[in-house]
Amino acid sequence: MSLKYGLLGLLVEEPLHGYEVKNRFEAMLGGTWEVNIGQVYTTLQRLERDGLVRPAGERGDRGKLLYEISDSGRKALNEWLAQPESGPQELREDIYVKLLLAARLANGDLGPLLSRQKRAYLQRLRDLNQLEARAKKDGRTDLARLVRGALLHTEADIKWIDELSETGISGESE
Amino acid sequence: MIAVVRKALADLRRRRLQAAVIFLTVFLSMAAGTMAVTLMSQTRDPYQAAFDKQRGAHLQIAYSATTDLQLLAKTPATVGAASSGGPYPVSNIQFKFGDRKFFVDAIGRDNPGGPVEVLNVTSGRWARANDEIVLTRSFAELNKISVGDRVKVVSVAQAPSLTVVGEVVDIDEGSADLSSQRAWVTSATVPALSTPDSAFYLMDYRFAGDPTSAQLQGYIERLRASLPPGSITGSLNYILVRSIFNITNQILTGVLSAFSVFALAATIAIVATLVTGIVISAYREIGIMKAIGFTPTQVVGVFALQIVIPALVACVLGIPVGTLISQPLLANSSHALGLSYEPTFSIGLDVLLLASGVLVVAIAATVPALRAGLLKPIAAIAKAAAPRGTGGRRLRSAAARARLPRPVVLGIGDAFARPLRAALTLITVLLGVATVVVAIGLPRSFLLINNSETGAGNYQVVVNRTGAFADADAMRILNAQPETARVVAVGGKNVTIAGLADPVNTQLFRGDSSRLGYLVIAGRWYSAPGEVIAPAGLLHDAHLKIGDSFTGTADGQPLQFRVVGETYDINNLGHSMFMDIATMASVKPAVEPYRYAVTLVPGADVSAYVRRVSALEPDLLDVHAADNSIIAPVKIIDTVLLVIAAVLALIGVGGVFNTLLLNTRERIQDTATLKALGMSPRQVMVMVAASAGLLALVGGLIAMPVGLSLHHVLNDVISSSAGNDTPPSVYAVFNPLELVLIPLLGVVVAVAAALIPGRWAARTNVVEVLHSE
Amino acid sequence: MSELVRLSDITKVYQGGVTGAVNGVSLTVEEGEFTAVMGPSGSGKSTLLNLIAGLDRPTSGSVSVAGSDLGRMSEAALARFRRDRVGFVFQFFHLLPNLTALENVLIPAQLKSTTSAEASGRELLDQLGIAEVADRYPAKLSGGQQQRVAIARALINKPSLLLADEPTGALDTRSGDQVMELLMELHRSGQTILLVTHDAKLATRYAARVISVLDGKIVDDARLETAERAAADVIRVRGEEARP
Repeated sequence: MSLKYGLLGLLVEEPLHGYEVKNRFEAMLGGTWEVNIGQVYTTLQRLERDGLVRPAGERGDRGKLLYEISDSGRKALNEWLAQPESGPQELREDIYVKLLLAARLANGDLGPLLSRQKRAYLQRLRDLNQLEARAKKDGRTDLARLVRGALLHTEADIKWIDELSETGISGESE
Repeated sequence: MIAVVRKALADLRRRRLQAAVIFLTVFLSMAAGTMAVTLMSQTRDPYQAAFDKQRGAHLQIAYSATTDLQLLAKTPATVGAASSGGPYPVSNIQFKFGDRKFFVDAIGRDNPGGPVEVLNVTSGRWARANDEIVLTRSFAELNKISVGDRVKVVSVAQAPSLTVVGEVVDIDEGSADLSSQRAWVTSATVPALSTPDSAFYLMDYRFAGDPTSAQLQGYIERLRASLPPGSITGSLNYILVRSIFNITNQILTGVLSAFSVFALAATIAIVATLVTGIVISAYREIGIMKAIGFTPTQVVGVFALQIVIPALVACVLGIPVGTLISQPLLANSSHALGLSYEPTFSIGLDVLLLASGVLVVAIAATVPALRAGLLKPIAAIAKAAAPRGTGGRRLRSAAARARLPRPVVLGIGDAFARPLRAALTLITVLLGVATVVVAIGLPRSFLLINNSETGAGNYQVVVNRTGAFADADAMRILNAQPETARVVAVGGKNVTIAGLADPVNTQLFRGDSSRLGYLVIAGRWYSAPGEVIAPAGLLHDAHLKIGDSFTGTADGQPLQFRVVGETYDINNLGHSMFMDIATMASVKPAVEPYRYAVTLVPGADVSAYVRRVSALEPDLLDVHAADNSIIAPVKIIDTVLLVIAAVLALIGVGGVFNTLLLNTRERIQDTATLKALGMSPRQVMVMVAASAGLLALVGGLIAMPVGLSLHHVLNDVISSSAGNDTPPSVYAVFNPLELVLIPLLGVVVAVAAALIPGRWAARTNVVEVLHSE
Repeated sequence: MSELVRLSDITKVYQGGVTGAVNGVSLTVEEGEFTAVMGPSGSGKSTLLNLIAGLDRPTSGSVSVAGSDLGRMSEAALARFRRDRVGFVFQFFHLLPNLTALENVLIPAQLKSTTSAEASGRELLDQLGIAEVADRYPAKLSGGQQQRVAIARALINKPSLLLADEPTGALDTRSGDQVMELLMELHRSGQTILLVTHDAKLATRYAARVISVLDGKIVDDARLETAERAAADVIRVRGEEARP
């Protein structure tokens, strides 16, 4: 939902064309989420269908529409903003399945898997660190905050890897 | 309560070194203190007990041989004496034993018992026959004469031999090393031993109560008034005898008391420092203790107990040791009194000392520990991380500017990081060094005085002549010897002067007596007949000052005197006078010298001279080398001073050691950091040694004037108790180099004491101390 | 670049220990490297640091730093080695409380009895941005200032190797960042730095080489890439719309 409401929220400031919304969205995310224009228009159309946005004024040149947010749109946006993240933890990366499988297949010898993964995480951490430094230097505090979140997540992943290495799953039954 | 004791014992086990320091210092203080108190409590009683038991004479008067015996018989009534002894016929004799000669007053007395002056026969029996003699025990022991030995009387022409048949203790005279002695023969023997100028009568008087000095003076005046002039030739009273008897112990007791107070003060300083240090190091622990439920009182109790327990053990051991050590001194007194020696100590006194000692230590430990009790648990744990003492910064900058090596600079700063602790340590050092100064100085002062009294270095041979040999003949023999450089003849006569009841002993010199070695304290030596020089005791008691003229009588004949100077002489506790023998020119019978002080030419062989001159007149002349050896009482005092100095020096070292232990432990983090930064083990030891050295140096430097003042004061106290002023040269017994060396020696000792804590600090395990995990 | 530190098969067993604090570690560090040694509590990372610094002796194996074999050295020689070759920065600063900041900085130089160190000391404090605290006592300095004094102290004798043991552990984030930036700058000027930390974010931010230690063994020796990457290559933010 975050694309839908992200685009919606951008229209609170002022009515925007579709491509303007795309640019602003990508800029806000600092390059960490690139959307294609088709997706943007599809989402805007859905929003219009649900009555949360409406066209503002006449179709301009080349058939580009200006969208603006409606009252119910504002209401929906506020409700979405107010709602905390309460769904289940999303663990999407492959490592989770890999780990469980390897544990089963390799009789608990996870050493090589863990150290390879850790090294990858370390590199990721380094990249994140550098990204954060750049964001701060460029004055992009919002991006820096986002990167910080990613950093801490990665650190948590590393801690998990370390724990697994320390306690040694060898010999443990599932 | 059990928890408190258990915790205290556990802490004690951990702090063994510090417990040892407490134990040592308390032990030493208690031993010294017990000695002092034991001596103090016993001194008067044995003498008085013996005096009463032996019915000692309060007053003894020597009457001229021409006095009418009937008049003498009335004298007890004249003075209201409760009982009397005598008149005994007496002759001053010289006898020879082996190759040595001695002078004694031989008293004719047929019964050692009686209503006054009971003589306690300690060996052999009383004289029965006319060739028997009884000696005092102290004389016999000093000169190694025993019952059964035969002596030959050489002061009379017939030279009779006498056998020593017994030894007695006479409560009415001092010991042989301090005063001339008497001997006893049967009254029938006396005439054979007498010459016209050697004979006199002796009477003893005993009164109902113990008369005061003023009352005794009054009695003598009454006697003088009731008899022809010149009848009284000498007197002796029990107060003087008692003073002479007690003087050694009095001086000892005074010295011991003063220095025991020092030792106690130093111990208190050490205890306070230690407890404060322990509390500081245990802040975190205190917080935890309180958090788990120890009440403030219990917390204080834990810390106080850690100190009190070793102190208690030290008292329990130290008090008996002190009592034991004082026994030989007391035995000496008892022996001299003829009392059988019973170990004298009172359990009550010892228990009181134990209680007081423990109480004092407990207070010294509790007061700093109160801080521990008052801390709130959180504050205590927080304070544990707080900085360690911030004093000493200026000192450190000064040392840095002086371009001293960095470890020395750091050590110097550390010494005064906690000013109060440094001050307490300085006190212990000061007391130790000051005592050492006194212990070095007083014996030297005593030696100087001893030398002045015995003529050390000024004359080498002493010759005594008996009445049977003429003065002119003696002089002729001595002057005929090639090695004789100078002879000063000495005589004596008792002179009665206004204001003093007892006749005063005079030393009459013929010859250059100013070179005999007596010390002139004020004014000058006499230069003409009639001029006298006397000790302060006489001048004070007779209300005389330099320049005063006064009259006196010798043998009843009037004489004129003028005081020209003050000298030092302990005989008769300062009641004596020195003058030219010609002063007595008008006195009949003529006063002649009986002793000759001979100065030999440099390099002369003294023993050859002595042998040669002795051989010329073996019976009539007593020739011996001048004896400069130090008398026993002074030896005792010197020994005690040495022991006391050792005790206080040890306590001083203990104080420095204790402070170093505390400082190095508190600074362990800094030491570990320094080691991590590259301070080598040797540099760490230098740092600790510099700390110790500075404390010792400052303490030692302050101690020098203190010690010298104390030396000055003690000299004055001792001199005045012997009826004298202190001669100026007696104060100045240190040469300037020594005054510098003594504090430096203190520094060396302190640096040596720093080795153990220094090595401990140098071995700090950096990893353990600075671990960050 | 030459080799600065060489550990050969180092084992360190403490008395009463069954397994060692360090078990057979071999490691080399080149001059000019910024290396982080990471591991959980008790992994042996601090022990390795202590061995390299000459604060501890290995039970077996050899330690060679700046050409010197530490195993042959006496305690005094090790002290000199620490003074001249190694600079220390500790988690809890360990400044001497009774000395001013400048005096603290000068200690290693003065232990060497270098007389003209004061100027260098002040210069270092200036370079580290704390020239004004030279005559203040540590109790009056903030944590960040104290750690910078400690860094100056570590540098006064121009050590070959700078060892930092959790240097930001007792600092707030901002001061910690400042301190790490300083270390980064020193590294850029050529200082070899060995950083011990449990914080992976810290380690990967500054060090190009991260050595992971576990149970007294090196379990990973990672040289990380430093190339700058676009945000999109590093993070992908997605909502539910990502599902096809």
